[in-house]
Amino acid sequence: MKNILVVDDAATVRMYHRKMLGDAGWRIEEAVNGLEALERVMNQPPEQPFDLYVVDINMPKMDGYTFVRELRRLPQGTQVPVLMVSTEAQPQDAVAAEEAGANCYLIKPAKPQDLVLTAALLLGDGPAARRAADAQLQGVRA
Amino acid sequence: MGLRKTSETEPLHQVIGREFPRDAHGLSAQLRSPDAELRRWAARDLADHPECARVLGVQLQQESDTSVREALFTSLGTIATQDSVTALLPMLRQEDAQLRNRAIEALASMPRAVAPRIEALLHDTDVDVRIFTVNLLGELRHEQVPQWLMQVLAHEKNVNVVASAIDVLAETGQPEHVAALRAVRQRFSHDPFVGFAADMVIARIEAP
Amino acid sequence: MKAAVTPIVITDADFLKFREFFYRKTGIHFEENKRYFVDKRLIDRIEATGAENFRAYFIALRFESDGAELQQLVNTMTVNETYFFREVYQFDCLVKDMLAEVVRHKRRGERIRIWSIPSSTGEEPYSIAIYLLERWPLINDYEVEIMSSDIDTTVLSAAQRGVYSARSIGQLPKPYLDKYFRRLSDNEFAISRDLVAAVDFSRVNLSDANDTRKFRNIDVIFCRNLLIYFDDLSRRLAAEAMYDALSPGGFVCLGHSESMSRISALYTVRRFPDAMVYQKPMQGDRP
Repeated sequence: MKNILVVDDAATVRMYHRKMLGDAGWRIEEAVNGLEALERVMNQPPEQPFDLYVVDINMPKMDGYTFVRELRRLPQGTQVPVLMVSTEAQPQDAVAAEEAGANCYLIKPAKPQDLVLTAALLLGDGPAARRAADAQLQGVRA
Repeated sequence: MGLRKTSETEPLHQVIGREFPRDAHGLSAQLRSPDAELRRWAARDLADHPECARVLGVQLQQESDTSVREALFTSLGTIATQDSVTALLPMLRQEDAQLRNRAIEALASMPRAVAPRIEALLHDTDVDVRIFTVNLLGELRHEQVPQWLMQVLAHEKNVNVVASAIDVLAETGQPEHVAALRAVRQRFSHDPFVGFAADMVIARIEAP
Repeated sequence: MKAAVTPIVITDADFLKFREFFYRKTGIHFEENKRYFVDKRLIDRIEATGAENFRAYFIALRFESDGAELQQLVNTMTVNETYFFREVYQFDCLVKDMLAEVVRHKRRGERIRIWSIPSSTGEEPYSIAIYLLERWPLINDYEVEIMSSDIDTTVLSAAQRGVYSARSIGQLPKPYLDKYFRRLSDNEFAISRDLVAAVDFSRVNLSDANDTRKFRNIDVIFCRNLLIYFDDLSRRLAAEAMYDALSPGGFVCLGHSESMSRISALYTVRRFPDAMVYQKPMQGDRP
């Protein structure tokens, strides 16, 4: 079972991502900001690594860009995919995300199908990706 | 060697006399010292001089050392006057999220002083400032917080400001807020997240 | 006629709401299996404050101006037990990693200072002393000063008296127990007077700069499970006081559920194999 860490300071957003991604069949954990997330990663048992990070940009204590930069410096964090989700909508924000080390960028609020499809592709979860792609084509909620 | 016996220990530390006098004038001068340690001490000690809030604010705008900035924020938070608020508000427009969030923390610790400024902030032309103000409401201990949130739900046009307000209501929402939550759900009926969040908060409020 | 009193109940929704708030405020997260523990204590606080139900209690808690009830809540929700070799992995980290870095900047024979606060009844500073003597290969190459402080003079006296219960010494390996303690009775073990002499006890309020001013050039601070009981401002002041007390490159060790990063931006996080600790930057090397 794939493990996803959702990092966002808003409880409702964490719940929303938890519902969308949890329903797709993945195990979800939460952190309220970049610093808590980083400390969570450092304390994670090696047999239960995170397979994907879904990260907000604007958070107290440590923002999303800084978290991703710090994550990429950890041995357990160099290769894991990172999906950044943010209200920022300028092209330079997606560039900044990429420069920090993120793999992908979605604008908040993300449509459920987009979120799940992107996550499935980043996780290499073929069946989930196909289901999400179908839902997206049909314009129906996954 | 090994563990030192306490009977042998010297007095722990001599407190050395200070280079600058400890009055407001001396401390303000020390705040501009090229030595970060001295600036930090000055920033700390200026917490006892509320008349210097503005000086602290000016230094905050140009200070690059983290430990000095921490001391500036803490002292402004301790002083907690209108001048402190004025000194901190410009930080809400900062690009640097760390600075912005630290300012929000400091402002949240002075609810009486910041309350008179909330209305204006909620009408700021900058969407981000409005979002950060709602984030501030999430940390603020003031009886008017629910009313301000209702205002946002009723009139705010930007979906992300509204989403932040709904999020704060997840913690502070009461039965009298349900109608406004249903109304905002209608107003943003095209947005799946607003629907989800509003439903979640309503369910929470209405739970037995 | 007196109305029947409705027994206070904590619903699932109440628990979730409380859990989120408590985590946000303290960093402490309660799993589902802690329901009984949490519910019982919440009900106690609801009754103690005279609130009608959880809803009323929570609103008062959220909007109270001085944070007093939150402090009470933290006190009741956290387990404050002390015993020898509590959270022992941090002592492993001390003798394996932290001291290795500390001695890189010291000449042989130079002083190393370790500060344990709160001392409580002494289990922590004495545990550190035993660990250094038994598990630090370089103990004879340096002069180690152990200081320990508490705000409460009663526990300081108890620490200096040095008599412990069977429960308190329960985690100690038998050879250490035999070596450093004398059994006075079934439930009383007296620690060696040499160890008592090796710890410098003092009364200190960590949020009072006048008390902490004297502590300088400290290499390692153990401040475990103390800051959670402070309000936001006192916590920040304590973090600053420890920063002032530390030498550049010095370390702070908090309790395992505590996070310095939540409190202050002054420190760098260091993840060692045995524990995560916080470091004051070396000179000219700001976070």
